[in-house]
Parts: sequence; C-alpha cells; structure tokens
Amino acid sequence: MDLSLESALSAAGVGGEPSGNIAGRPLDEWNAAYAKVESYFHALRIRNKVLLGRLVIHVLKRAMRRAPQEPQLSATELAAEEMDLVVTEWFGQVLQEATMGANHMLSTRGRLALLLADMPGKWQEQFLHPPPWPEEFIKAMREAYLRAGPDFQLAKMAPRPLDLGPMATLSNLSMVPFRKMILGWLLLMLLFVAAFVLTHNSEQNHHLWTAFMTWVRNLLH
Amino acid sequence: MPSAASESPAKQTQPPGTAFYTKRTVRRWLRLFVFYSSVTILTGAVSLLFADLLWRGGWTNISTIILILFIILFALISIGCMHGIFGFLLRVLGDSNSITALGNYQDQSIEGVSVAIVFPTYNEGVARVMEGLRTTYVSLEQTGQIQGFDFFILSDSTDPAKWVEEEQRWCEIVRELDALGRIYYRRRISNEGKKSGNIRDFLSTWGRRYRYFIVFDADSVMRGETVVDLVKLMEKHPQVGLIQSVPALVNAESLFGRMQQFANRLYGPIFIAGLNFWSQGFGNYWGHNAIIRTDPFMQFCDLPHLPGRKPFGGQILSHDFVEAALLLKENWQVWMAYDLEGSYEEIPQDIISNAQRDRRWCQGNLQHGLVLFGRGLRGISRIHFLMGIFGYLASPLWLLFLVAFNWALWNLKSSDLSPIIVRGITTPWLKLSGKQHAFLIFIICMCVLFVPKILALIDLAFDRERRKMFGGLRCATVSAVIETIFSSLHAPLQMLWHSKFVATILFGIGVNWGPQKRSADGIPWSEAFRQHWAHTVIGIGWGFAVWKLDPATFWWFLPVLLGMLLSIPLSVLTSRTSLGSRARALGLFLTPEETSPPSELDTLRVRMALLEKTGPPAAPNAIIAEAVLDPYVNAIHVSLLREKQLNPEYRDALVKLGVGRPEVRELGEKLLSKGPEALTSQEKMLILSDAEIVPWLHRQAWIRPSKALAVWWQAAIRKYAR
Repeated sequence: MDLSLESALSAAGVGGEPSGNIAGRPLDEWNAAYAKVESYFHALRIRNKVLLGRLVIHVLKRAMRRAPQEPQLSATELAAEEMDLVVTEWFGQVLQEATMGANHMLSTRGRLALLLADMPGKWQEQFLHPPPWPEEFIKAMREAYLRAGPDFQLAKMAPRPLDLGPMATLSNLSMVPFRKMILGWLLLMLLFVAAFVLTHNSEQNHHLWTAFMTWVRNLLH
Repeated sequence: MPSAASESPAKQTQPPGTAFYTKRTVRRWLRLFVFYSSVTILTGAVSLLFADLLWRGGWTNISTIILILFIILFALISIGCMHGIFGFLLRVLGDSNSITALGNYQDQSIEGVSVAIVFPTYNEGVARVMEGLRTTYVSLEQTGQIQGFDFFILSDSTDPAKWVEEEQRWCEIVRELDALGRIYYRRRISNEGKKSGNIRDFLSTWGRRYRYFIVFDADSVMRGETVVDLVKLMEKHPQVGLIQSVPALVNAESLFGRMQQFANRLYGPIFIAGLNFWSQGFGNYWGHNAIIRTDPFMQFCDLPHLPGRKPFGGQILSHDFVEAALLLKENWQVWMAYDLEGSYEEIPQDIISNAQRDRRWCQGNLQHGLVLFGRGLRGISRIHFLMGIFGYLASPLWLLFLVAFNWALWNLKSSDLSPIIVRGITTPWLKLSGKQHAFLIFIICMCVLFVPKILALIDLAFDRERRKMFGGLRCATVSAVIETIFSSLHAPLQMLWHSKFVATILFGIGVNWGPQKRSADGIPWSEAFRQHWAHTVIGIGWGFAVWKLDPATFWWFLPVLLGMLLSIPLSVLTSRTSLGSRARALGLFLTPEETSPPSELDTLRVRMALLEKTGPPAAPNAIIAEAVLDPYVNAIHVSLLREKQLNPEYRDALVKLGVGRPEVRELGEKLLSKGPEALTSQEKMLILSDAEIVPWLHRQAWIRPSKALAVWWQAAIRKYAR
C-alpha cells in the first residue's frame, strides 16, 4: 500500500492548479472527503490511528487519481465511491469471490465475516492489506456464517376441532343480527321487571321505593 | 441449510404406561373429594349462619340475592383457605407426591436428548430478555450438560427499532458466549396468533428436531440444574406431557414489587402444595417456565379459533390453560413441580402496571367460559378454568354484594320495622344478639382469609434455614402484617378495576390506559391522579352515602372505602424504589433470593445495573440509523433477512408484505432524502424487511453527497467521526 500522496497528486496534475486546489477540487472538499472516509473506517471499528490514517490516504489517493476524469463529482463522492470499491475488492480477494461493481451480497458477507472473525479485535492490521494473509485469518473470514436457526424440519400442525358442547349454541348467539339492540331491549325489560317487583311484591318494597325517592330528593336539596 | 421438509402427519401419539395413573385414579378422586368436601362443608356451615343473620332482619328479595352472592364469594375464599390448610399439612407431614420426594430421576441420563429453550418476545426490553437468556445459558453450561440444548429467541416484535436491537444484541451474545449454532434468533414476518402462534411457528419449523421444549417468558430465568432436572423428570416419566415449574418472583425493587414478591415466597409454597394435593398429575400450564413434550403438544395442542366474535370468539388468548386441558384430554399428564427451586420470573413494579397485566389476563380467562363445557375435557380441567374465571368474576360479584348489602341496609333503615324482628332459627343455641351474630360471621370470614397467612408463618417457624432467609421470624411476621394491611387496601381497588375489566370485555369496549409515565423512582403523582381519580370519587361518594344512611355501618365499611380514598398516595408510595430499599434496610419483605441470592440472579442483577449505567437506551430512530449506517449491524440484518427467505412460508409472507416491489425502493429514497421521521412505522418495517433495499441503503447513505441526504442522516454520519 503506497502511503504517499505525492504520486497521486502528480498523477492528478496538481502542479498546474491554482493554490488551494488539489486534483481540481478545493482543499476543503478533500477535507470533507477525508472525514467521510475516516468515519466509515471508524464505523468498521478501526481503532489504530496510524492504520486508520494510512487507509484513508490510500482511498483518497485513488480518488485523486480518478478526479480529473470525472469533474462532475465532488471529492467526497469520489472518495466514498473509491472507499466502497477498495473494500469490496478486498472482500473479493479474501473470500475468493468475483467482484462486479456494487456487489451488495459480497459487501454484506464481507462485513459480516469481519465481525465474526473479530477483525476489530484480532486482525486490524490485516484489513485492506494485500495478500498473503495469515491462514487463521483467512479461515476465520471464509468460514464466518451467521445462522439464525438449525436446519429446518418442517411439519404441519393442524388444529383439531374442539366441540364446545352447549357453549357452541351460545356462541352462535353472537351471530344473531341486531344482537346489541336485542340485548338492550332485554336489559330494559329486566329493569321493568325489577321495578315491578320492587313496587308490587311487598308492602315493604313499596315503602322502600318511596323512601328511596325521598332520600334522593333530600340529597339533591 | 434447510433439510428436506417432513410433511407427513404425525403418528397418533399415546402416552406410554397410561396404567400409571389409572391405578391411582381412586386415590386422586378421593383427594378431590376430600378437598372440595371440606370447601363445601365450610361454605355450607357459614352460609347457614349468614342466612340466619339475614332472616333476623326479615326475608326480602334482596336477602336472596345477598345470600347467593355470599355463598359464591365465601366458597371462593374457602378454596383459598383449604389450599393453605392442606398445603400446610402436607409440608409439615411430608408429601410423598412432591417432585423432590420422587428422587428417582436424579440418575437419569439425558445424553442424546434434544431440548429447545425458547424465549418468545414481543416488543419487550431487549437487554433484559438477552440477559435472562445469557444467565440461563451460562448456568446450564456450568452443569456440563449443554450439548443437547439449543436456545431460540422467537421474536414477534413489530417495532422496527426493537427488531434491529434484538438482532444486534443476539449477535453480541453469540460472539461473547461463543455460542454460534447454539443460540438462534428468528423473527416472524407477521405476529399472527400472538404468543401461541409464535410457538406454533417454531414447532412447525424446528419442532421435530427436539424431544422437549422449555418455554420462557421475556423476564424468566432458570438455573441450569433446574432445567436439567426438568428434562430428567420428563425422561424418567414418559407419561408426562408437561411439567410446570413454579417460578419465584424476584428482582423487585419498588415497595409494591417487594411486598408481592414476599407474599409469593412466603405464602406461595403452602398454596401450591395445597393445589397439588387435589390436582396431582392433572395440573395446569401457566404459559412459561415449563417443559413440554414436543410430539403430543404438536399433535394435540394446535388451538382452533373459537366460533363467534370478539371478545369471546376468535383466537384463544390465554392458550396455556387450554393446552394443558388438551394434553390431559389425550391422557397425558401435566405436573406441577412445585418444590423444584431455581425457576424465576419478575413482576410489575406498581399497582397500575399490575392492573394493566390483569386486564390482558382477565379477557383470556373469561374467554375460557366458552371452552368450559368442551366435550371430552377432563373434569379437573374444568375446575382449573373455573378458578381462572372466578379469579376475575369474583370482583364484580363482591361489588354487587356490597351494593346489595347497602341496599338491604337502606331498606331496613327506611322502613319503620324493627331492625331485629325474629331470633335466628338455625342458631338459637348460640344465643347471640344481632350484632354478635354479624360479628361472628365477620370474624369467620377474616379467619378464612388470614389462616393461610398464619399457617405460612407457622410453617416458616418450623424451618430454621428458611426462617433465616426471610430475615428471621420477627421480621417475617412484621412484614406479613404490613403486607396484609396493604393487600386489604389494594383489594377494593382490584375490585373496582376487575369489575370495570369484566364489564368492558363483556361489552366489547377497550380500555385506554394512555402512555404510562414512570419516573426512576416510580409513578409520579400526576399519573396516579389520572389513573385513580375515579376510585377516589367513588370512595368519597360511597362513604358519604353510607354515613348518611347509618354512621355505625360506615365504620364497618371503612376498610373498603379506605383503599379507594387512599388509592392515589397508595399507588405513588408503593411504586417507590426508594421505599422498597428502605424497607429492605429495615429487614422487611426479605425473600430467600434477596438474603442469599443464587449466583444466576446476582450475575443478572450486576449485568443489568452495568447496562443501565452505560446510559439510556438509544432512541428508536437512532437504532434505524445503525441498521443503515453501521457496517456490522447492517450486515447482520441483511444476512438474517436472506436466511429468512430459505423458509418457504416466510418467503411467501415477505412477498405478501410487499417486499421486492418498486415502491419499497421509493420508500428507501424517501428515507434517505427526508429522514426516518417522514416514514410510518409500517413503512420502516417494510424497508427493513427487504434484503435488497437494506444493503442498498447502506451503500447509498455512505456514498451519496451530503446534500443528497436529509440533515438527519448527515448528523447520524457525523456521530461516527471521532
């Protein structure tokens, strides 16, 4: 991995540029590009600052080389695209899979392999490093596979009918049309029956009714 | 990779050695007869005394109603009392039918036995679920018998943030415990059938691989030894279809939680021993902390939908009771491992959360009314159903009893008749005045209510080791007295709440709790006021009416009224963790798991405290950002989505959901350009379900220039810059 930016800068024709520009883009743009690439590597848990700086420069160098050919893209866009390409190409090499443009499948598999092989903890120095890699690292990366469950053993469960007995008839009542209205009428009838019982069944009840009304009146007053 | 599907219907499974319990049928019926005869005799005798009291005032229509209600209510408390008495006697005299007395299972080999430990979860606190799993896993590993066990997190979460967090934490735990291929995670596409549907889905996909499965709740923990014991018991007793462990309540911090926990640990053993006296091999299933024989469960326990409409028709909500009944119907036994320690669960920390949980259980239990007379079910299953139903129906009946009593009293007061018109005819030999007669019945009722508690204390006094674990007999007695006072105040609130639940369920009305606000120390006053103002108003109104009616009766009603009047401070103060800690410092409400905690609970507590210290849980949209931006979280999510597509049922469900349609890409664009707040939760779920869109989003979010992304994303990306 070439750490020097000079080769990239010369390839990009920096010499003929107005001051403050690199590869046709203002310095601020490259600064933003640097921050974006660095953020992504942070997200990948690259903690070693020296390594981090080296990786970011590697990506920026590639972006600067591309810059003169694609003046419509900002430095950040170029750097982000190159970062994606660099990482995916490296996954392809390590996992021995062909890379073709934006390969979501490979990218996902690679990132998962990095996590399961514990790249941030054990193998930081191998990240984006060209071959050869330690056997153990290659094995860990290639065998990394996340299983949500063991092999399926599909079976069909089928509910058995449950004879509810007399309740089946009762539950059919809920299918009766206007059942709420009918229930309301029944409750009203019940109220009438209660009123009748309370006022007619005994003298005591009659007395009770009148006393109740008096009590309510007294309370209200 | 998935293996070939096995679609052939299972062979009719019959429990081996059905003769085992046939031989014991006589003894079982004798136990049932003795137990319920005791209940009937006690209820009959006291009801006669009560009827006599009513007779003194002159018999009216309302007297009949009061008597009927009294008989039902007294029968219910008598059952509780008899559970306490029988349980106490069994504990003192020794129970040859307890699990530990069996003893013969300890040498049973479980080599080659496959067991799945399943954690169904639905939008639960992810950290707690995972830590519970971790604790059980590590404990099981320490037994040296983990080879046969696989763990499954069966997610039904519908909250996109919970989904991503579950995956993230699952991956972490798998890596930390080096348990890849031992702890699995699967999320269903739709949560059809709720928890029972979740279990059914697991069984349909992997059930055939496992001879047994153990169901955990989101807050369950079990010791490894207990798990192994359950498997050994199942292996030793092939006629058993299910063994329910009795989880001890643990980890409560609020005063309410600690009082409930204390009551569970002190009174629980004698009640459960009493329950086991008559249920024996015909016990019940409580939905979790239980081991189940997979084959008969798959064959007989796929629940049908009930006819009719909600709230009774449709899906069976409290599936556990029905599943146990179906196993019993097919001659499998259901055991209660009531004396097997090492099974734990947690409880709500305040009165309001407790009521919210009761609301869910209430509907499920009332629904059992439809199954009650199901043909072929065992009589004992019907008793279990009835006890569940009356657990909630008792409240409106009690309310009705109190109202009817007030009515009768008012009737008496407003008439010009003498309050005592005749002498009691069935109890003339007692020579009691009306007041003494009433007081005697009151005392009997109090005894029936409190005898089990006293017996539990006596039981504790006999056991030096256990006594020490409760902080000594003095502390336990003081705690029991305070707990009894609290439960007397809490009971009227439960009466009002349960009555409301029953009424709203019967009329198909939902209960709107609103978002519950809970501060670090418990329920704030404003929240308590919102939930309890009606209770207070009822208490004031009722108290005023009774006072106006008869000041002497008012004092009899005061315990009931006090619970209502004090509901707001009671709710606030008992929810306080600071008061819970203070009570603990005073040696009150101590439980064995507090005084000598098993290492599993200790570890769990420490880990949860550490997690809490790392800061509050991330905001939901922050977790969505991680799913898109974080290279690892994104990779885990996409890998699991791809694996999901290997299951034909899930593949079809994903297509039905809309995955793969161009609209999802448009939603993805909207997510990038406007941020997650511009999308609904369902839209986010759709995006997160698409295995093509999620990695595309990752790439786009990192590659696109800042101006092409929502400001929200720019800020999210900046968080990775250090």
